[in-house]
Amino acid sequence: MIRHLQFASARALKEYLEVKAPANAYYSSAYYDTPSAPDMVGKGWQGADLVFDIDADHIPTACKADHDTWRCLDCGAAGRGFPPAACPKCGMKKLETETWVCEECLKVAKEEAFKLIDDFMIPDFGVSQKEIEICFSGHRGYHLHILDERLRRLGSDGRREVADYVRGVGLDPRDHGFREIAREGAFLGPDMRDGGWRGRIARAIYAYISKCTEDQLRQVVKSAAVADTICRNRAKFLENIASDPPFWGGIKGYSLESVVRIALAAAAENACAIDERVTLDVKRLIRHPNTLHGKTALRAVRLDYSELESFDPLRSAVAFRGGSIKVYVKGMPRVRIGDHEAGPASSVEMEVPKAFGLYLICKGAAEPRS
Amino acid sequence: MLAKEDLAKYPFLQKAAAFIEGRNLSISDLAGPEFSNVVRRAVERVRSSILGEEVTTETSDPETEILSYPLALAFVYASKITWLVNRFATSEAKRCEEELRKEPISKLEEIGNASFGWKVEANPISLEWEKLDFRLGVWQYLEVAPQFHSVSWKLTNKYLNGGHVYLKAKDFARLLAENLKLRIVRRASEEEIRKFDLPQLLMPHLEGLLKLAEERKGTFEEEAPQGLVDGAIPPCIQAIMGDLASGKSVSHMARFAITTFMINVGEGVEDVLRRFGNVADFDEGKARYQVEHIAGMSGSRTKYSPPKCDVLRSFGLCVNPDRTCSRVTHPLRYYRLRLKDQRRNGGVAQGAKGGGGRGSA
Repeated sequence: MIRHLQFASARALKEYLEVKAPANAYYSSAYYDTPSAPDMVGKGWQGADLVFDIDADHIPTACKADHDTWRCLDCGAAGRGFPPAACPKCGMKKLETETWVCEECLKVAKEEAFKLIDDFMIPDFGVSQKEIEICFSGHRGYHLHILDERLRRLGSDGRREVADYVRGVGLDPRDHGFREIAREGAFLGPDMRDGGWRGRIARAIYAYISKCTEDQLRQVVKSAAVADTICRNRAKFLENIASDPPFWGGIKGYSLESVVRIALAAAAENACAIDERVTLDVKRLIRHPNTLHGKTALRAVRLDYSELESFDPLRSAVAFRGGSIKVYVKGMPRVRIGDHEAGPASSVEMEVPKAFGLYLICKGAAEPRS
Repeated sequence: MLAKEDLAKYPFLQKAAAFIEGRNLSISDLAGPEFSNVVRRAVERVRSSILGEEVTTETSDPETEILSYPLALAFVYASKITWLVNRFATSEAKRCEEELRKEPISKLEEIGNASFGWKVEANPISLEWEKLDFRLGVWQYLEVAPQFHSVSWKLTNKYLNGGHVYLKAKDFARLLAENLKLRIVRRASEEEIRKFDLPQLLMPHLEGLLKLAEERKGTFEEEAPQGLVDGAIPPCIQAIMGDLASGKSVSHMARFAITTFMINVGEGVEDVLRRFGNVADFDEGKARYQVEHIAGMSGSRTKYSPPKCDVLRSFGLCVNPDRTCSRVTHPLRYYRLRLKDQRRNGGVAQGAKGGGGRGSA
């Protein structure tokens, strides 16, 4: 990796990239006095953008069973889907994984990006649409940058708080309007119309109770009697907490403690799956927009908020249009690039559109044939 | 309107600085006999902070009180002792918080806006049963609030709406005071302050303070812990130890946390390696290299510290926090506190169960 480069102009950078043609190009999220200084002290850190990384790899999706495999390097056990933390057979953690992304993964990543923007950044953090820069990473997800000069100098501790907020880390429902009142067993709680986590918790509980089974609820509240009470009075419970003002204590047979447990379980579904390490880093290397991703030959595409909804990464990020190449496919699941769809296939030679072939070659799943 | 008495209470306000500038005084002018009261009061402020005594505001003579603040700061910065800077900053913050908590909402708003370039609104909203008196920008909140370790200060547990964090008056006063402390401490590492020397005439006063600081500091220095004492291990580290003992494979961060913790309480590399012995994917050669690296015996020669509580919490390693947890921000601090408690209780580990780990701040 060649680091500490500084360019006087966008043109100089472009020329450099044309001559060197690197497989991957990154820039730092930090602003420096002297970006080319070889050490951190010499660079003079001025600040950094706030960055969020949403990566399909971090989000368990059902489709992973269709296209991801893992193999234990110790005992050879193998499986499909989201890789386990350790080999279920021998307990070792050295797993080799082969991961692919499909439309489903990218759709989930996009939903997560919308959640981050629409549920957290705009309403809670008060960030405006135009202060949010979105970039398809060229592979499995999206990078979001918050361009607000006021937060450039925010330290790692402050950024951790932002990451924890959107992930719901450390959430304590008792700080969000729940309070026991003198009468035993009676308590007050938040309103679904409130902002921030306060309203989100109330809405999450409403949604959760609307759809949960008694079995699921029993697991959450750890009491068969409480689960039974709530499920028998489900309609009343929902009507109570949706009323204005909300009414949390109208049904006998469960305590604040149970509601707090439900709140925590329900809130987890409303948290946003970001890679927190990226957010709390004050000098992160980020793939340069409009360059090719070395693992996919797809373009990292910068997007406006208004373009995100209709953005189809496997079509819009295709850089090589037209032409075809012959490849020998070692093994691949079903893959779509642009309009071309093929697979699963293994040990087969095929002629495919150039972008499709380059994608397989960059993924290490195919070799070029002449 | 902020009166002279207010400037005496809150000498960090821009108006207080303007008041001093208006008098056209330099630090060396304060060495003159007509300012002996100012010098006495400045020395007293620093003395009290060294001794850990409560500093109260002297409002009977506001001018002396205002002038004594920059002079006290001058003594503290000229001492070049980080411990003293922290101590002074803490006692000033405490004094300031006491005063702020007595102020009506409107005055608090005025002070909030006139001190650190914050934009503060006394804009009470009522949410169900509670009233939140203040709001300020989330990025300003985050400059200060991560200093607090109680979970109720976490942004996740604050009412955040439209880019504003909503706070009760007493929490807002606490935040303002903490920002004052931060500013005093951070200023110490600025170039101008690091080069600052006290005028000769004032040196005898500083020497007296240095002597006192030296005496006091000795009693506060904590001995480096010697080896692992069972009853003093924080719950997070205990949990990792339990996992390792049962042969469970633990995350990279958990390994890093337990290794740094053990090294820092004075355990040797061998003791640490023994803990990992049960784990299925244990590779002694590799583990030894990593533990020695963390201990500063190889590689970069840096001795690593365990991650602080916030980091452990983010990585999901903070489990079963107890009452002692609510007093600390760092697992090593927990360990030292518990050791101290044990020593005080004649070697008996004190039960600190219950309490749920929710401190007041």
